[in-house]
Amino acid sequence: MKKTSPIYILIFITVLSVVFGFGISFVNYATEGLLKKNEALHRNRVIATAFMLPVTGRTAGDYEAAVRGSIESFSLAVDGKTIQAFRNKTTGEVGFVFAGPGFWDQIRGLMVLTPDLSRVKNIAILEQKETPGLGARIEEPGFLNSFQGIEPAWDSSRGEFIIIGPSPNPSARNRIDAITGATQTSLAFMKAINADLAAFKKAYVPGKGTRHE
Amino acid sequence: MSNGTAKLFLKDVWNDNPVFRQVLGICSALAVTNLLSNTLFMCAGVTAVTALSSLTVSLLRNVTPKRIRMIVQVLIIASYVMMVDIVIRAMAPDIHRFIGPYVGLIITNCIIMGRAEGFASQNRPVPSLVDGFASGIGYSMILITIALVREPMGFGTILGVPLPAREQWWHQWTIMVMPPGAFFTLALVTWFARNRLEQTMKTGGK
Repeated sequence: MKKTSPIYILIFITVLSVVFGFGISFVNYATEGLLKKNEALHRNRVIATAFMLPVTGRTAGDYEAAVRGSIESFSLAVDGKTIQAFRNKTTGEVGFVFAGPGFWDQIRGLMVLTPDLSRVKNIAILEQKETPGLGARIEEPGFLNSFQGIEPAWDSSRGEFIIIGPSPNPSARNRIDAITGATQTSLAFMKAINADLAAFKKAYVPGKGTRHE
Repeated sequence: MSNGTAKLFLKDVWNDNPVFRQVLGICSALAVTNLLSNTLFMCAGVTAVTALSSLTVSLLRNVTPKRIRMIVQVLIIASYVMMVDIVIRAMAPDIHRFIGPYVGLIITNCIIMGRAEGFASQNRPVPSLVDGFASGIGYSMILITIALVREPMGFGTILGVPLPAREQWWHQWTIMVMPPGAFFTLALVTWFARNRLEQTMKTGGK
């Protein structure tokens, strides 16, 4: 058969696609267990960090044991949207997953609040693809720790429960500093947190669970 | 290594370096070089994909219809990139969280297509493998050099390890973290390397 004939071309490209498709599937299948393990480790590490759980070691098993022993997960439905939430079975502290568009891609994180929702206990990042060294500094402890103890202004008419960056009142108890050189990421982060804080507040009843349960 | 193979290797790594001589692969040279760890994984990915795709294109050169050779090359390259992406995600998930989008963009790295079309499609498998591998090494050499300038100046670290007594003397050069820092460093590295190359050529390699 001539190499220029349409039948040859069709067979050639089909065989090549099948062979490489099989190769990709094989690599994916071979690493599937590892990928799941990595995702579980990352998720548990973020939850343990956000809730400040005591973890005995640094292995995947240590983080899983810490989370399984202290945290229960549940979901909240509000305005057609589902919010993933977690509660510390011992302390009653409650956390929720917030998400929103960052400067480059989606930012997802976990914010933990005191049982009465009056203060932020801690915050941790699940996923972000911001510029390394600039926007990606939202993952640095220096920035994340500054959320600890701030008090969301639930009565804010503009929905700015938490302010990241400049504010008419620099010493406001719901404000933290933005990241120098990453204004857009800081703004995007603030919008994502405030949007989902509003939804979470609407759906969650402190001490009881959800308004929709 | 035979004399011919050694010459081919040296040509791709230095005399015809893909970055500072052919000005290829510039996107990723600018994008991932503000941290050395990210750069090393990107370099390993590009080198593996270039070597394997050159080898595969060469193995299939006699049965590939000329009219569709480009689409065949793209299919081969894209498949290897997907495999590399999965492997990095499995082996180094923290690094993948940072360079994931750029790993996908290896598909569009001009070096890989350039070597596949310019060399592998007309040469035997072993020289093609060497050519692809050497081009990857040449690319890596320049990227690592840029990262070795940008990370200490931008972060005060090398591979995440702080420079000695950093608190006492170091001040962050934010521009080195940002894309303009990569442009300046790439231009300086290119100027230096081409200058050295021209001197070597004038003196006949002595």
